[in-house]
Amino acid sequence: MKKRVLTLLLAALTLLALSGCGTKPTAQSTPTPAPEAPKVEKIRIALVLPATVDDLAWGQSMVEGLKAVQKTMGEDKVEVAISEKLGNAVDAGSAIRQYATQGYDIIFAHGSQYQSVLTEIIKDFPKTTFAYGTGFATHPNVFAYDPQAQEGGYLLGMLAAMMTKSGIVGIVGPVESGDAVKYNYGVQQGVIAGKADVKSRISYTGSFNDIVGAGNMAKTHMSAGADIITGSSQQAVGALRAVAETEGKYWLSTDMDQSNIAPNHVLAAQVYNWEKIVGKIIELRKTGTLGGQHLTLSLADGTIVLKYNEKLADKIPAEAKAAVEKAKQDIISGKLKVELPKK
Amino acid sequence: MDGIINSEIIIIILAAGIRLATPYLLAALGEMFVQRSGVYNLGVEGIMMMGAFAGFYATLQLGSPLLGIAVSLVVGALMGLLMALVSVTFKAEQGISGIGLYMFGWGLSGLLFRLYVGGITSVEGLKAVKIPLLSTIPFLGPVLFDHNGLVYTAFILVPVTGFILFKTSWGLNVRAVGNKPEAADTLGVSVVLIRYQCLIVGGMLAALAGAFLTIGQANMYADNITAGRGFIAIALVYFGRWSPWGILLGSLLFSLADSFQSMVQVLGINFPYELAVILPYMVTIIALAISYGRVWSPAALGKPFQRGTRG
Repeated sequence: MKKRVLTLLLAALTLLALSGCGTKPTAQSTPTPAPEAPKVEKIRIALVLPATVDDLAWGQSMVEGLKAVQKTMGEDKVEVAISEKLGNAVDAGSAIRQYATQGYDIIFAHGSQYQSVLTEIIKDFPKTTFAYGTGFATHPNVFAYDPQAQEGGYLLGMLAAMMTKSGIVGIVGPVESGDAVKYNYGVQQGVIAGKADVKSRISYTGSFNDIVGAGNMAKTHMSAGADIITGSSQQAVGALRAVAETEGKYWLSTDMDQSNIAPNHVLAAQVYNWEKIVGKIIELRKTGTLGGQHLTLSLADGTIVLKYNEKLADKIPAEAKAAVEKAKQDIISGKLKVELPKK
Repeated sequence: MDGIINSEIIIIILAAGIRLATPYLLAALGEMFVQRSGVYNLGVEGIMMMGAFAGFYATLQLGSPLLGIAVSLVVGALMGLLMALVSVTFKAEQGISGIGLYMFGWGLSGLLFRLYVGGITSVEGLKAVKIPLLSTIPFLGPVLFDHNGLVYTAFILVPVTGFILFKTSWGLNVRAVGNKPEAADTLGVSVVLIRYQCLIVGGMLAALAGAFLTIGQANMYADNITAGRGFIAIALVYFGRWSPWGILLGSLLFSLADSFQSMVQVLGINFPYELAVILPYMVTIIALAISYGRVWSPAALGKPFQRGTRG
């Protein structure tokens, strides 16, 4: 008996270690859309999320985008069904397949980890449009969407470099992949551009959803001297909260505006405007394009927006803001190109 | 590379390690009683999540983290009671029922959060309490005596649980029930009662560990906030050979490895982050693997007690 338990434990530990802790093979899957006959006019959209609809980050930003589309086009024209907490790609796969079987027109698999499960499902549903991101590989009925997270990251990095008093900017990363790498790389370049002698420090927690771990990582950054911190993924709110508890420390958000939970500590945010991307996919589908396009989100087309926290507007020196705004225009006009990490 | 490992950095690493050890210590000390009485409860993670939610929600509603702690203790006791009912009274296979309890706790805490809170909200959690005089000792002061109340509680519980387990008659009964339940039963010790008591105490401590995460660390709640810490706590019970001091050693080893790797990353010391984040797990796995085989364990661990049979 003891041996069995130990074996179980060792297996569990190994799993935890390999996945960098956090993901469990038992996510709840609750796709419960009403099975109704598809009307000609109505577009039925399904969304599969790795975390929750209210994570104040990646997931919630997409949910809000879908809601905005629903509002613009009319509640009776767009139906939205959402399944959350599907961090495990296999569970997500069965939810995606269910939605496709139920005749949903467009299925958003909102995570780069869903790329491989999609390739197995799409062949069986050639008339359904699938979309996933962050990614770039497409198929005739698959769109890939791809936020240029480095662009907003660059601007936030510049702002951080020009505002830090300690000369150290801390970055709490989740797992070194996808969006997080692009964002962090952008922040690093922005810091260098903002002020040459400011240092940026990157660390990763190894998890997307361990808010306690992210909080502790932020504390480590702050105790080692950083006074402006940023970070991505749904765990970032844990880091933000740790920053908000310390006087004189500031946070920069990405994915969506997080200033409502810490109005005195969030300086600015890179906000993804999913409404435009979703709208574009709907339009393309109407004209017979079911997929095959790599859609980027960028400052240039307004799908990425830099948003300042009104409440802290007076904390940002005018020259810093002017420099950031100039860089923004340069990125939009193509004069300034934010590099991506070389693979 | 821009940081030298100086005494200031070492203080930060050690202080963070003490803080990070707290949830493991609380949950593992609870599980120690449970296993000492002959039951293993793999549902610690689920109880932690329920305790984390209960502590958070009560603090949010009642405005006091102390009441949050009280409510989480009650919820933990109920979760322990549920495990006792299933595994002691109904004699269900303990491993399976523990995993069931884990999934139940995860699902229920997430559901309650969605129903009653709905979105990410933060609370005013426990504040750090500097112990007068002691916290001014150079080096040791900031490392040991500048934490919140639950951190002190966890560390004080080490000698306290050691005393209870080895120096009181109740502790003797617990150990007897976990080793030779038939013998204990013959001597008039109620095996069922002792196991119920241990599961309830274990549940309360696991819930306290969870509450520490929400009102002593993050000061907010999110789905799956425990992120595997409950399973680590169970591993630490084995690591610590069912003794409070061993568990203390294991918890500190794990959490110091964790705070050390965080600092290594933050200071930009050239070390692959993937290796850094698995360091605490590797240390624990290696220690567990080395210690296996030479370890004494409660003889009746995992065996439901049936009067009139031999284990």
